[in-house]
Amino acid sequence: MSTLTLLAEAAPMDGPEDRGSIIAAAKAGDLEAFEQLMRQYERMVLVTALRLLGSLHDAQDASQEVFLKLYRNLGKVETSGNISGWLYRVTVNACHDLRRRRPVAVPMKDAGELASREADPAQQSAEQERRRVLQLSLRMLSEKERAALVLRDLEGLTTEEVARVLGSSEATVRSQISKARVKVKGFVERYFRRHV
Amino acid sequence: MNCTDWEERLALYAGGDLAPAKAAEVEHHLAECAGCQLFASGLRAGLELLQDAHDEALDPAHFAAVRSRVRAQLERERRPFWRRAWIYGLVPVAAALMVAVAVRPSRWIAPQPPEVAMVHQPAAVDPWGVPPIPPAQPARVRRKPRPKVEPGEPVLVRLVTDNPDVVIYWISERRGE
Repeated sequence: MSTLTLLAEAAPMDGPEDRGSIIAAAKAGDLEAFEQLMRQYERMVLVTALRLLGSLHDAQDASQEVFLKLYRNLGKVETSGNISGWLYRVTVNACHDLRRRRPVAVPMKDAGELASREADPAQQSAEQERRRVLQLSLRMLSEKERAALVLRDLEGLTTEEVARVLGSSEATVRSQISKARVKVKGFVERYFRRHV
Repeated sequence: MNCTDWEERLALYAGGDLAPAKAAEVEHHLAECAGCQLFASGLRAGLELLQDAHDEALDPAHFAAVRSRVRAQLERERRPFWRRAWIYGLVPVAAALMVAVAVRPSRWIAPQPPEVAMVHQPAAVDPWGVPPIPPAQPARVRRKPRPKVEPGEPVLVRLVTDNPDVVIYWISERRGE
């Protein structure tokens, strides 16, 4: 999935001018306009937070903080013009802060919340187990490696965009991504060798 | 070159993160190394499984919950002060203050100063009967008292003239010496 796909999902009908007018209206205090803006970016923010935190409850708390920050910084976002980049950066920081405040209790406990597209119950349970394990594999990574992998391989940002979001150099991000991929490969192989 | 040295490049290659020249080098190595082919296919499989596991749809209710929490918070912050709940908690306090001001005495009466009694420290009782040594008094300089000035008796002067019917009295108040 590429960044373009993400943005197309985020804003299916609105162009940059429309988005600009929505931001301007929200900045003037129009809460309906701000809710429209939230709808455009809520999937991106909540899913990224869920992938980084592994708990739906924590991800919702982080998303709430992100959107409140967005409301208070609409002027800054309006001038920067790159709302999705800003939101990714704030989401990663909010997740980092939340992780520091609340140590992980049960890893990936909300994996079952993710709705599977499989219809067959037997297949669904196997699918859910596989998903759970794969989501659990992110726990094996360091926080920076996880953020780099989630943004690059799951959110579909380019290495340059990931570097900008994380405030690192591209070389550092490349190193983090490659280490993370090797760790995930090792985890998946160990798990499937043992259980399949 | 040891195959372990290819790991990082293979991991980047699996995600399409190598420049064309470096990707060509990796492909050249893969063509002649069975171990790295296995490693690369494992990387690709792991990545695909991970992406597939996360390619899910969240229940729309989870998004709606976040939206309503944000909206409620913003509405709370934007509410004018007279519509905030805590303001109504202050109403009884304000009413009590107003009542207290209304019924206060119209003329202010200064309170009586407190009575102060001088209490002397009792003399210490010496168990051996030795009288206590009085505290040293500071040396006094004796001065000669100045005489008090008293108003004196008036001076009466009687002047006798040649005319026996005319006598002049001159009375003068005498000041102190």
